[in-house]
Amino acid sequence: MSETATAGRRLVELNVNGMSHVGLAEPRTLLSDFLRHDLELTGTHVGCEQGVCGACTVLVDGEPVRSCLTFAVQMEGARIETVEALSADGALHPIQEAFRNTHGLQCGFCTPGFLLTAKALLEENPSPSEAEIREHLSGNVCRCTGYQGIVDAVLEAAANGKDQADEPR
Amino acid sequence: MSPGSGTADVNQQARPARYTGERIKRLEDPRLLMGRARFIDDLGVPGMVHAAFVRSPHPHARIVSIDNRAALALDGVVAVVTGADLAAETAEMEVGAMLNGVEATSRPAIAISKVRHVGDPVAVVVARSPYLAEDGRDLVRVEWEPLPPVPDVGTALADGAPLIDEALETNHVAHGKIEIGDPDGQFETAAHVCRKTFKVGRSTGAPVETRGLLAECDAGSGAITLWTSTQMPHLTRTLLAPMLRVPENKLSVHSPEVGGGFGLKCHIFPEDVAVPAVARRIGRPVKWIEDRWENLSGGVHSKEMDCEVEVALDADGKMLAIRGAFVTDGGAYSSIPYTPLIDSGCAAGMLPSMYDVGHVAAQFDAAYTNKASVGAIRGVGWASGQLARETLLDDAARQVGIDPVELRLRNMLSSEPQKNIMGLSLDGGSYAESLAMARDAIGYEEFRRRQDELRAGGRYLGIGFSPFIEPTGMATASARAAGFDIAYFDSATVTVDPDGTATVSTGLHSHGQGHETTLAQVAADALGFAIEDIRVVFGSSDSQSYGMGTYASRSAVVGSGTIMAAAAQVRARLLELAATLLEADARDIDLAHGVAHVKGAPARGVTVAELAGFGYFGYDARPDDVQESGLTATAAYDPPETYANGTTAAVVEVDPALGTVDLQRLVAVEDCGRMLNPFIVDGQVAGAVAQGVGIALLEDLAYGEDGEFLAGSLMHYLYPSTTELPRYDLLHIETPSSASTGGVKGVGEAGTIAAPAAVVNAISDAISPFGVSIDRVPVTPVYLRDLLRGAGR
Repeated sequence: MSETATAGRRLVELNVNGMSHVGLAEPRTLLSDFLRHDLELTGTHVGCEQGVCGACTVLVDGEPVRSCLTFAVQMEGARIETVEALSADGALHPIQEAFRNTHGLQCGFCTPGFLLTAKALLEENPSPSEAEIREHLSGNVCRCTGYQGIVDAVLEAAANGKDQADEPR
Repeated sequence: MSPGSGTADVNQQARPARYTGERIKRLEDPRLLMGRARFIDDLGVPGMVHAAFVRSPHPHARIVSIDNRAALALDGVVAVVTGADLAAETAEMEVGAMLNGVEATSRPAIAISKVRHVGDPVAVVVARSPYLAEDGRDLVRVEWEPLPPVPDVGTALADGAPLIDEALETNHVAHGKIEIGDPDGQFETAAHVCRKTFKVGRSTGAPVETRGLLAECDAGSGAITLWTSTQMPHLTRTLLAPMLRVPENKLSVHSPEVGGGFGLKCHIFPEDVAVPAVARRIGRPVKWIEDRWENLSGGVHSKEMDCEVEVALDADGKMLAIRGAFVTDGGAYSSIPYTPLIDSGCAAGMLPSMYDVGHVAAQFDAAYTNKASVGAIRGVGWASGQLARETLLDDAARQVGIDPVELRLRNMLSSEPQKNIMGLSLDGGSYAESLAMARDAIGYEEFRRRQDELRAGGRYLGIGFSPFIEPTGMATASARAAGFDIAYFDSATVTVDPDGTATVSTGLHSHGQGHETTLAQVAADALGFAIEDIRVVFGSSDSQSYGMGTYASRSAVVGSGTIMAAAAQVRARLLELAATLLEADARDIDLAHGVAHVKGAPARGVTVAELAGFGYFGYDARPDDVQESGLTATAAYDPPETYANGTTAAVVEVDPALGTVDLQRLVAVEDCGRMLNPFIVDGQVAGAVAQGVGIALLEDLAYGEDGEFLAGSLMHYLYPSTTELPRYDLLHIETPSSASTGGVKGVGEAGTIAAPAAVVNAISDAISPFGVSIDRVPVTPVYLRDLLRGAGR
């Protein structure tokens, strides 16, 4: 097992947050590890490596994906978005701002996964009900907040997005 | 506003008169939201290698031999280190007798001769990458001689049971008893006696970030630097230094951003010794990040307890006496520093809680079994004891025919400061008031009407209440009141820097509690500064502000007391500086939001930037005490006992056919004294309540009868998610502590203590037509369906 496991590194080219990154990855290298350790994008967090907690969620072509259940070599040609992209210009994204306004985070470890999962929801459904928000976020766990602040944040972000959409351009 | 640049005409209209008590948004949020915070696994140092632990797959076994040859032959593996290797370089991990009747114990960091639970470490493999370390780990061959497992307390305490710790003569590692008054006499003559046996399941904190360590050793001095995901940097240094055989001044413990603790990260674990010892041994920095299976199998567990409780009531439902016996399944080792008594001892000490009862008997025990150790997890044994007592009172109310809220109201202590029967110095609260507020907020009378209507249609709704008091501000006085003979030391340092900004250092920590915000609020008010000119720092044992860290709902009380005392000294010197510059008496100076002026003459002011510049560089024009001490002060505070209180109430609907529980409403009334920041108080209560709901319905660190561990992933150990929890109503009463600085109490654990009993009482109320009552948690669908089928309705 181990003799073959270290062999066969491959050159991979990933599009992460709008930039092309080239690196060497074993076939077994997880996307989460490649993002964190090779690309030093440490905002993506790993909580279980079992695909359960959702902390490692990133967007792949706009869809939320568990980066701990994905191999880096599978992502050739995909468009990957991590938490670092949300505030690329140094200002908080409206969803991030809403999390701050509603105390939607405490220790902050699960937060990047929630932010990206919420972003995917609001892009698909800009005006979700509370029940829809809870259903959509039920694959991410948070041990600190009891979720109330998180659910309120998504409601607030949706309301703000709606306000903006209503404004004349 | 730029740092310290406040001018006399700064627009102060947008500022609150005081920051404490305001819903200030958290200062730490932006870096966390942007993914820029640095947690332990985000750190690295040049030359770093990675560790993986070989762990026992057996609950109880002798180590016959360890063959590391295949692992060492793997390209990239640097070393394989065993317990025997480390024994010469480290001291055993000892934990003393916390009380009479408790065994002192000792263990090597890595097992040498036998393992005592699944997940017990037996060797460390170090390699170039985490992947290679795990490859190497899988190549280490351990020959085992399995021993008979001790999977539960009953087996552990039976005659002839296999000994878990062969240095002891028993598995019965702790025993104690408290008896006050004549409880037995009261039980003989009481009009009503109600008894209950309750089994609390095994749960833990399971933060989303697991534990992790990064250690390096200076080749010249032998000094060790340890980065660790801990809640208590200074206390880790004090406890760990002798185990590593380094003087305390040659061990630096740094805690980066910590992704949740819940008590898990306020212990000393075998890996805390092993990783720095291995780094020293091989001369390379070593990093280890715990995986989820290790976290669940090898961290500390909590709350599993066999409870027997009984209450004696007079004909009017007045409590005459209460008795309780609490036995903790303590696991295989004594956790450091708390021992398994953190559960059964705490349950016993809080048996009468806020009830006015004249006679008490409380017995507590702990047994060693082949499970992971029991440690101090949010709510500790108070949550287990609360479940036993509050479910007993609901059973008693049904038995006697009194409304459960009314029964409790008849038996509450008054809310005035007083000593309770256990000798706890209660500092005032709102015991009956909080229960009444929860009752009214949840619409009790209307609910009862609706409940009757729905029952007629075959739907089973129930309501449950759980009033509580929570010991907070844990320090010497409160620990001793709880029966633990231990002492605390906590300090803070407040320094005004030359440009008029202030740095506050504390021996507390923050891993979600928002202390960078709340402690800045406290410091800003105490100094008279603008909050943006305050920076709160913590997380390094190199800080001179020694403290015991953050756990046990202690930091609001300890932080306020230490910071307010240190800030008062610095503020007094600032006032003297202002008096000199303004040619006035210091008693006539007002200093607020960073500007000092003579009272009544706001037009002529000096900024703290000017005061600080003068204080540092004003040579002999400065007052004497500024010349001697500068603009910094360190103060210690060891607070008196403080007790938060409140009531949690829940509404559930039970589906008898499926055994499922739908938690529909949850009201939490909290009285934590003066609130530093209600925004953060709400967050603490909401999160703690969620953990309490998990304890009630989901969380179960299950072991098989053969001692095998069955809950090694988050697919097996279930947290509540967004869909298991309702929207909560969070309500407050604010009764200032009569004892603490600023009237502050703590809040961190209240919801976890109170919520499980509220949910369980609601379930028992829902199924009361079946004539049965819940006697364990978690209330799983299988358990509930079997209970209802057995009831034969």
